[in-house]
Amino acid sequence: MSGRLWSKAIFADYKQGLWNQREHTALLKIDGVYARDETDFYLGKRCAYMYKAKNNTVTTPGGKSKTRVIWGKITRTHGNSGMVHAKFGSNLPANATGHRIRVMLYPSRI
Amino acid sequence: PPGEAAVRPGERKNLKPRRLIDAGGKVKKGKPHCSQTPVLVRGMGRYSRSAMYSRKALYKRKYSAAKSKVEKKKKVKVLTTVTKPVGGDKNGSTWVVNLHKMPRYYPTEDVPRNKQARKLRASITRGNILLILTGRHRGKRVIFLKQLSSGLLLVTGPLSLNRAPLRRTHQKSVIAASTKIDISGVRIPEHLTDAYFKKKKLRKPRHQEGEIFDTEREKYKITEQRKVDQKAVDSQILRRIKCSKLLTKNLIK
Repeated sequence: MSGRLWSKAIFADYKQGLWNQREHTALLKIDGVYARDETDFYLGKRCAYMYKAKNNTVTTPGGKSKTRVIWGKITRTHGNSGMVHAKFGSNLPANATGHRIRVMLYPSRI
Repeated sequence: PPGEAAVRPGERKNLKPRRLIDAGGKVKKGKPHCSQTPVLVRGMGRYSRSAMYSRKALYKRKYSAAKSKVEKKKKVKVLTTVTKPVGGDKNGSTWVVNLHKMPRYYPTEDVPRNKQARKLRASITRGNILLILTGRHRGKRVIFLKQLSSGLLLVTGPLSLNRAPLRRTHQKSVIAASTKIDISGVRIPEHLTDAYFKKKKLRKPRHQEGEIFDTEREKYKITEQRKVDQKAVDSQILRRIKCSKLLTKNLIK
């Protein structure tokens, strides 16, 4: 199993207007995607915010580890520069802004 | 002839022709056609039951079992109502009950729906190399053998190259490479179906005193059957892979 099977992305922002922010939707900046037409590949892909905590929790049928995940998916494009909307199972915590989000390659359409 | 119907553009012909016996006693072969109600929303047709009745000209198509002459002469009087007695002083002595009650439920579609055809992406063909994206074999390149009836894909490593066995995967968790192997001559055993691959529940809870916490999960054991099948399929495929060194390297993990 070589290599990373996910794209790097950053949780840039929550969706927001001038005065209010909507935490239910996150804006992601995917590495290497800087135009609107390039985001088409990523639409519908699952994304994950991974973080560590003190206690062990069950991850995957198998082991327990200190990493935890919030799963989500990329829902639509945002603007012209390759940003993307994503919705997660539960809203991303604000301390995650600027941090890594993994964009998986599945569900695959190719 | 009333049995025919024009096929609307974009609708599928997937009904078997029904055996129709018209009033004259002859067997008519109905031509296969599809639902005349264009679907508005899943489960809901454009036209109502009565609208469909006139659209399909059902007033013309009243088919019944062929009757013998004697039977035809006998006109059976069908009782539609029954008078029943009612108790109580002021209720009148009897009331009339309808024997044929109106149905409580009207189905929204007039034609039984057929099972969906299994979709397979155009990029996935027999002998194609697939990149597995999830599961314990993620990142491995495997060979696509066939699509099972549930829609899942049957793939194999082959086992000796990358430790990926005969397994089912989902289309969505797989990237199809453009590399293909010609497996036209490969015969995949018939018994490799969804039921064969279905996960079996391993744990046997035994509720006896003192043993409740002792029972452990049975581990998954590879059955001999699986080994035999794996060999049967892989030997055929390996022959075709070994021809190309690049291909073998590609698959090896």
